[in-house]
Amino acid sequence: MIAILRLAVFGFVAMTVTYVTISIYSRSVRREKLEKQFDAGEVEAGDVEMGRDAYIEAGMVAYRHGLRRKLIWLVYIIPTIVVAATVYFVNYQ
Amino acid sequence: MLTYLKWTFRTVLLLFVAGFLHYTLPQHDIVRITNTYNRLTTVGTENAWAYASPDTGTAESSVSRDIRFIEAVYPDESVIVYRNEDTGWVWPPYFKYDSSNLQAEGTNLKSPKETPRWVSVTHYGWRLPFLSIYPNAVSVHEVASPDVRIIPWVNIIVLTALGLGLFMLRRMWLQFRERMIEPAMAEVGETWDEVEARADAAKASAGGLMSRIAAWFATWRKKG
Repeated sequence: MIAILRLAVFGFVAMTVTYVTISIYSRSVRREKLEKQFDAGEVEAGDVEMGRDAYIEAGMVAYRHGLRRKLIWLVYIIPTIVVAATVYFVNYQ
Repeated sequence: MLTYLKWTFRTVLLLFVAGFLHYTLPQHDIVRITNTYNRLTTVGTENAWAYASPDTGTAESSVSRDIRFIEAVYPDESVIVYRNEDTGWVWPPYFKYDSSNLQAEGTNLKSPKETPRWVSVTHYGWRLPFLSIYPNAVSVHEVASPDVRIIPWVNIIVLTALGLGLFMLRRMWLQFRERMIEPAMAEVGETWDEVEARADAAKASAGGLMSRIAAWFATWRKKG
């Protein structure tokens, strides 16, 4: 019984580390994309007036409310499903 | 010399990883089960790594314990012996705790040579007689004939996930280097340049001061 708790605790720690690193990575990639978009002039006239920093900040706010950021929660969901599925197929099939 | 060392290191690492995966990932054997039994088995220090760790359900003692075995025959008459132990909750991650049921299923599928019932045994691990280690059976299923082809879905999924994970790790590292380390290094470089420039200026002005003092002394000397 202790073993399953240990798995849960260490698994949770590992998934949290993965979640945080992937979040940082994803944010960094989005910021770089916004910077490059602005610098290459691939933005509308209104956005150019806004200025580079404001444009990037607006893009990051959109990212924070977007779907992509929420998908990172799969880092917790997928391993849990995999463990549950393994337990089921190994012991109950 | 260094190239040899580098390639030796890489080869050893690759062999180690490949061996680790080959040991841990599931494999399927099509066999005929001939016997199932328990045997009091002594686990030594040299082969303890290939047995269940002492805190899992079936392994009450770390030294000698009753272990369930399944003996089987391949279609070509060569033999194989599986152990049947719980894996516990850490490694290898099969989370198997139904060894007793598996033993009962194995016994139920036992068959004589004349009327064989072919069974697909999913297992991981190696049979190494020298170390007295046995692959651990994970599940048994009856199959129609010894020629049945089994697609190793688990291996396909696990290896794909591992490959994707490594690819992502590399991408993440490169992104981190490009966005965090390189700008920081550039900043350090700039700061260092500034420090050097300031030191040079200081040295120049100090030189000016020293020569002024020397000149001042010289005026004294002249007088003396």
